[in-house]
Amino acid sequence: MTSVRAQSLEREGSVGDRPVMTLIDVEKHFPIKDGVLQKVVGHVKAVDGVSLEIRRGETLGLVGESGCGKTTLGRCISGITAPTGGGIYFRLSDVDRAALEDILATPGKERTPEQRKRMERIESRHLITALTGDAWRAYRRNCQVVFQDAFSSLNPRQLVKDIVGRPLRIHKEASGAELTERVVSLLESVGMGRQHLFRYPHQFSGGQRQRISIARALALDPEFIVLDEPTSALDVSVQAQILNLLHELQRDRGLTYLFISHDLGVVKLMSDRIAVMYLGEVVEQGTATELFERPRHPYTEALLAANPDLDADVDKEIEGLEGTVPDPANPPEGCRFHTRCPVATPICGWEVDDAVTWLSVETNLLDAMTAVERRSNFDATLAFADDGSAEAVGKAMTAGSVPPAMAPALESVSVDGSKVLLRFLPVPPVELEEVEPGHVTSCVLHTSRRREL
Amino acid sequence: MTSTAAAGVSAEGATRALVASVQDLSIHFKTKAGMVHAVDGVSFDIRDGETLGLVGETGCGKSVTARSFMRLVASPPGVYAGGKIDFWSSETRAAGGGPVNLLTIADDEMLDIRGNRIAMIFQDPGKALNPALSIGNQLAEVFYQHRSDELLEPLGPNAPVIIRRAANQESGKVERVLLKLPPLRSKAAKVREEVEDHVAAALAETQIPNPRKIMDRYPHELSGGMKQRVLIAQALACNPDLLIADEPTTALDVTIQARILNLIRELQQRRRTSVLYISHDLSLVREISDRVAVMYAGRIAEIGRTDDVFRQPLHPYTRSLMAAVPSSRNKRGELAAIEGTVPELIDPQPSCRFHTRCPYAAGVCGEVDPRFLRHDFDHGVACHIYDEPAELGIRPDELPSYERRTR
Repeated sequence: MTSVRAQSLEREGSVGDRPVMTLIDVEKHFPIKDGVLQKVVGHVKAVDGVSLEIRRGETLGLVGESGCGKTTLGRCISGITAPTGGGIYFRLSDVDRAALEDILATPGKERTPEQRKRMERIESRHLITALTGDAWRAYRRNCQVVFQDAFSSLNPRQLVKDIVGRPLRIHKEASGAELTERVVSLLESVGMGRQHLFRYPHQFSGGQRQRISIARALALDPEFIVLDEPTSALDVSVQAQILNLLHELQRDRGLTYLFISHDLGVVKLMSDRIAVMYLGEVVEQGTATELFERPRHPYTEALLAANPDLDADVDKEIEGLEGTVPDPANPPEGCRFHTRCPVATPICGWEVDDAVTWLSVETNLLDAMTAVERRSNFDATLAFADDGSAEAVGKAMTAGSVPPAMAPALESVSVDGSKVLLRFLPVPPVELEEVEPGHVTSCVLHTSRRREL
Repeated sequence: MTSTAAAGVSAEGATRALVASVQDLSIHFKTKAGMVHAVDGVSFDIRDGETLGLVGETGCGKSVTARSFMRLVASPPGVYAGGKIDFWSSETRAAGGGPVNLLTIADDEMLDIRGNRIAMIFQDPGKALNPALSIGNQLAEVFYQHRSDELLEPLGPNAPVIIRRAANQESGKVERVLLKLPPLRSKAAKVREEVEDHVAAALAETQIPNPRKIMDRYPHELSGGMKQRVLIAQALACNPDLLIADEPTTALDVTIQARILNLIRELQQRRRTSVLYISHDLSLVREISDRVAVMYAGRIAEIGRTDDVFRQPLHPYTRSLMAAVPSSRNKRGELAAIEGTVPELIDPQPSCRFHTRCPYAAGVCGEVDPRFLRHDFDHGVACHIYDEPAELGIRPDELPSYERRTR
């Protein structure tokens, strides 16, 4: 008990006064293995360079379509999987962060011994993959997860008492009668009670199961909880109950949330700040009101336009997006959204794959293609079975029917016998840039690269 | 009692002909604990060319209602415990015929209707498509089943019997060998071409780019949105009179959902097909429906034109449900949740099913089934407040005013 109280004291202060989780360039690449020897032939870039900061007492919303990496990021932060690149830091102070960023900016070989020592010290105290002993235990206690599907995240063969009491037992917080009392008070804090102690998960409704999950997450009085789509399996009326409960708990216990969801209405309601993810990257981040009222990225705009809202004008038509999410093993160059973007510009990162996709979807000209020789994503030679089809492709690529945003990015198209040489103007990757205090976006229409247009 | 009143509501407001009329439909499931009254006296009409939204929470019986249209409720454990579903197909109506009761007609008549006059789009396109068949072959089945006459057209009126049987997918082993031999081979190929034309046209209808290419693909090669388009193409292939869409966009992302929704709406308007659109998402239903029926625990709580229901919801359940959707007006932590849970439907006693969670419930609510009443033009409700306000101590006009933005 004393340790819990000590922690609560240590936690006093105002909302947002210090970071709880700091992410610097976090990457999670899953290897794709093929062949008899299971050779690694590529990587699915589920999370590809995400930097975020979650400050004490706030709720950071994370939105995006399925497959954009939001759940993987949540799993990295909660320590369920280790990121393959970058770092996740727990309770990294602003001073240390500045120092760390300074060190990371200098290439490895040029770092001074003092810098290395400092970095080592910071990492052993804050980097979650390098924590040991008490620091590791403190992180585990203070970072809990509530999963989407409460049925598959609760052990069907354990009683509620054991499920909710397990964290307390593992951390040797309580045992025997005291444990039972602690579990009862946890259950009471989520609107359940003593009568539920000796039941199995299958005896509860979806909403109650989610309450049990939340009680388990609260058992060690954590500072930070990752909520991974906590209400998307629930009905509207029950969802409202759970959302109210989550807010109440946050207010009473000073919790910090990472709220992952694909439901914009829910995220808007629950979050102070929102980060929008697309294909493993954060494309826009800002305060909830700012992001919803003045979105600065076409992807955010598209999400908002597609979201049916009960309060919107009925005459306002919902609009969807063309095409599908590209393969995260081979993400597009430049801005990753440019393949589906309704306002794409010539500098958004047009590449050979875009030309090939366009040719295969809009025409039948690629049926005779035999090989692609790729020098880079911007420069390739397409080989055809006969001269005629090569010429037809060359014509199609120079005709006026090429998408207007792609055409100016095409540096050269030349037909050489049965081969077509395609070269696009290379563009650098897009960077997140602050367009207003606290509002960052990577869209070239809003950042300093606007001048290139 | 309930049923006649409910049917009355829609019939009086109707100026258009009906496509289907559900009357007092009851579907029960036999379980060890007793009979589960999954659908318990449901009545509503679907008018020609309209989109009726059926909205409700998990387990309220909306999917079972929809499946009973095509007699897809597994029996046992399902029991069609009463009521009927009258269906007027465009053919019988043109011939001046009356309706057929979908629950009692013979199996071969049902085969003729299923996929032809009534078609269905399912929730999870990944599960509804056969993973072992290419898209082209999968869609071809619809045409072989229902449009074999059209497939034989290029061969003229006197096509060989073997080809006829092939187009009806009735060929035996020997016939299949014969079809590969010279005299019949070219004729069979013509039928095959005709099928492919039909399939390609059906796919093109759903705005799938390059349909001929898609036909050789297998379901796992397509994205979720694409699969749902294929299912829509399959459902609309025979130009059905009634399309049942059972949560067609629940498994899809919001940006894809918007496109599928617009596609369904566009096709519906172009072909004047009637649609029964089932969803748990109020905002989606408002987007697509002409009329809305709200279901709760196996019964219709309220039915009316979309505008009326969303502007002035009558039933306390509808009001609570709408208030529970997060909106920009809500403050964090102040969502109007509906306390409690949906009641068990095992051998229920006569009562309003919502009385355990209703803020206005009184004694009568737990003892008597509410009657379905016509409240306003084309707007009906099953609630004691509108029937016996004295018993509850609250009159309908004393309910707090309610407004969600409408047309």
